Amino acid sequence: MLRHTALLAAAALALAGAARADTAADGKVLYEQKCAACHTIGGGDRIGPDLHGVAARRPEAWLLHFITAPDKMIAAKDEVAVRLYEKYNRIIMPNLGLSEADARAVLAHIQAMTAGAVPAAAAARPSPLPQPELAAPQSAVLTTFLVLAALIVAVFGWIALSTRSPAEVDVKRAYGVRKVFFVTAAVVLVALLVATLPRAPYARADLKPDRIVHVAARQFDFVFSDEPIVRATDIGRVPTIQRLALKAGTLVEFRVTSLDVNHGFGLYGPQRQLVAQTQAMPGYVNRLVVRLAEPGQYKAFCLEYCAAGHHLMQVGLTVE
Amino acid sequence: MRAVKSQTLYWMAITFVLFPVLILLGIYMRSVQAGALPALEGWFYPMMTLHGVGMVGVWYVAAVACAANVLAKYAAPSPAIGRLAIAGTVVGVLLLLACVFLGRFAAGWYFLYPLPFKGEWPAWSAVVFLVSLTVLGATWLVWSLDLLRAIAARYSLGQALGWHYLAGRSDPVLPPAVLIITVSLIASVAALVAGVIMLVLFYLELATGAPNDALLMKNLIFFFGHTLVNLALYLGVALAYEVLPEYAGRPWKTNKVVVISWNAVLAIVLVAYFHHLYMDVVQPGVLLYIGQVASYASAIPAAVVTIFGALLLVYRARMRWNLASILFFLGLAGWAIGGVGAVIDSTISANVRLHNTLWVPAHFHTYMVAGLVFLVVAYFYHVCQEAAAAPERTGYQKLLATLMVLGAYGFFLMFYLSGAYSVPRRFAAYPAELAHGAIYSGIAAAFAALFLLGFVLYLVETGKRWRRALAHAS
Ligand code: HEC
Ligand code: HEM
Ligand SMILES: [Cu+2]
Ligand SMILES: [Cu+2]
Repeated sequence: MLRHTALLAAAALALAGAARADTAADGKVLYEQKCAACHTIGGGDRIGPDLHGVAARRPEAWLLHFITAPDKMIAAKDEVAVRLYEKYNRIIMPNLGLSEADARAVLAHIQAMTAGAVPAAAAARPSPLPQPELAAPQSAVLTTFLVLAALIVAVFGWIALSTRSPAEVDVKRAYGVRKVFFVTAAVVLVALLVATLPRAPYARADLKPDRIVHVAARQFDFVFSDEPIVRATDIGRVPTIQRLALKAGTLVEFRVTSLDVNHGFGLYGPQRQLVAQTQAMPGYVNRLVVRLAEPGQYKAFCLEYCAAGHHLMQVGLTVE
Repeated sequence: MRAVKSQTLYWMAITFVLFPVLILLGIYMRSVQAGALPALEGWFYPMMTLHGVGMVGVWYVAAVACAANVLAKYAAPSPAIGRLAIAGTVVGVLLLLACVFLGRFAAGWYFLYPLPFKGEWPAWSAVVFLVSLTVLGATWLVWSLDLLRAIAARYSLGQALGWHYLAGRSDPVLPPAVLIITVSLIASVAALVAGVIMLVLFYLELATGAPNDALLMKNLIFFFGHTLVNLALYLGVALAYEVLPEYAGRPWKTNKVVVISWNAVLAIVLVAYFHHLYMDVVQPGVLLYIGQVASYASAIPAAVVTIFGALLLVYRARMRWNLASILFFLGLAGWAIGGVGAVIDSTISANVRLHNTLWVPAHFHTYMVAGLVFLVVAYFYHVCQEAAAAPERTGYQKLLATLMVLGAYGFFLMFYLSGAYSVPRRFAAYPAELAHGAIYSGIAAAFAALFLLGFVLYLVETGKRWRRALAHAS
């Protein structure tokens, strides 16, 4: 009898264990699909707080309520919710339409991950970095602009001063000057077109990338993967690349899409300036081919405004 | 003394009230980006939206109102439609204020589809925003059409576009301002029709739930926005063609070259908008290249014909320098300088490093603030002074113009520098890697305040004359 009970208990335990494992697995998918865009578990604050150990911080009922209806709780002026809202840039965590069972599954996943992760070192704001040296292409742009602007100022200044000594002007001669100006301007512009159009940074058929990386943008993060992610439900099913590392000199093709609104995939090099970019558009895949020659820490910032978390949307990659 | 139409004076009043408020929003944004107003950071994106839509709207209507005032000399726009334009604009602005202040609507001035439906603001605020734009768009479309009707009552289409000059005839005489206004209004109708189509697509999605195509919507919004902003600037230039000759004591007439150049502008402005889609590589490649060619081509009529013509007009002229002529002259310079920034940005291989950085607001603020705003407020002053015939204080006028120029260019320079350093536009706060963006923001806020001071002095000078003009308005 006793044996019997023990067996039964063991079976029940095993079943319960399996069931828990099951909810945790669902919870993982749900978490990746619905929460990871704004939260980490032990990776520090992002748009919202680090969820490491959140189950120990807050009562379960509060958490279930908040996860299923954050907007209502903030609207109802729940003290803790409002404090969090004030702290996290007044971005309201969206109501993601989770049922209570979903919320339990996600919480189980968060707890399981908490057990395995070390909390991020006191999530201090990264300290500001000094202004880098201007990269060559950017410097060329700025110099060209400043020189031409100075030229315009000089010409306008000269013309304004000329009114101090009024005189008739020879219109015929002036039209001659205009002709010279027209021809010069036309030649310069055509030459610039010929020189710059072929350097357009578009993917060309004859370029064979060494590596293809799929990028799915969503409010408010970028997800890297080896397989395409084109729908929100692909996340959790398709394995994602947690830390993207590439060899220096690799010709990479980023295939960039968005799961919600327009975003921008702006790739910043180790000198913290743009090296390439493309838009992330729902329903389309933009191809960005770029050779990452210089080793170091790269970052992608979101370069298309995509709502409240826009300026916080970023991802890192390393080139070694 | 020349009596002014009271409608023109009402438009001035609207501009004089809204512009300083919208500048304050600009200063607020730069202060937040500098990290100086942490408690108000949450309002950044709603205020950015209000500032963008508000500024574009205010200066579009101000420019069209000036154009209507010029046209009244040569044709007869309907006063009733003029009143409708004022009423529609006021209603549209009130709706806009409601969705931004009550709903915190914040999809930005070009509200890229599908962002209005997917932000942190309530659904009703997106609907109110779309309704606001519908009211404004429909009103302005009717207004543009009525002005075109007035032109058509006097000139045939070919004449209004100056085609008889190409055949060597100059009868009827076509003032360059009328030519440019015709070109701009045709572009305005095209832009507003595209805007209306886009709004209908938004409503259809609201009604049926069937999603739209993001690329199509992007093309529509940029065609609409780009064209609207450009033609407002052309209207400002038309004012210079109309008024600057009075100060230079020389004529500035239509001729073959002027006709060719403005007809070319009409064709170019309709395709140059592709430069907003350079980073959407799914757009057929040839359209992207057309974008660069058209953007470069637009520099020729602007620089070689209009700027050259203006400089020739002023060169060694017996110039009467006052607030109006100074601001017209500065406005043309601002247009040229901003144009250089724009042509650089329209180079695809440069755009990949400038797109959506602060370089973009850098160049468009240059030709909007130091171009369009200067041209329009020059005209406003000119009209009020004509009506009031008040004695002018040259020293005071030079001082305020200097303050506006210093403030404006200092403010722009911070945008250009930040843009060169890849600091993104539309960031409420800068990440640690781009912390230098905050320093530029703080300096820019101070310069913008200087500009505002100059503008307040301008208001004092013009306001007195405006009141007298109102007393004698027709
Ligand atoms: C769009 C970004 C976003 C998404 C997506 C998101 N959150 Fe949040 N979350 C926040 C923000 C921001 C806060 C801080 C409170 C606020 O401002 O509303 C927050 C707060 C929380 C808190 C309270 C944390 C604490 O310290 O008490 C929990 C728990 C939480 N989120 C869980 C989730 C779960 C689970 C999901 C997925 C189902 C999720 N969040 C999805 C942004 C997000
Ligand atoms: C001196 C006056 C002005 C100041 C101080 C100012 C300031 C600003 C600032 C700080 C931004 C945000 C930049 C960013 O980070 O992206 C901005 C955006 C903008 N401004 Fe101005 N501005 C001024 C005048 C104007 C004028 C005259 C126009 C006229 C058309 C204008 C149109 C816009 C538009 C369209 C945007 C973009 C909004 C968006 O991204 O949605 N501004 N301005
Ligand atoms: Cu984004
Ligand atoms: Cu974004």
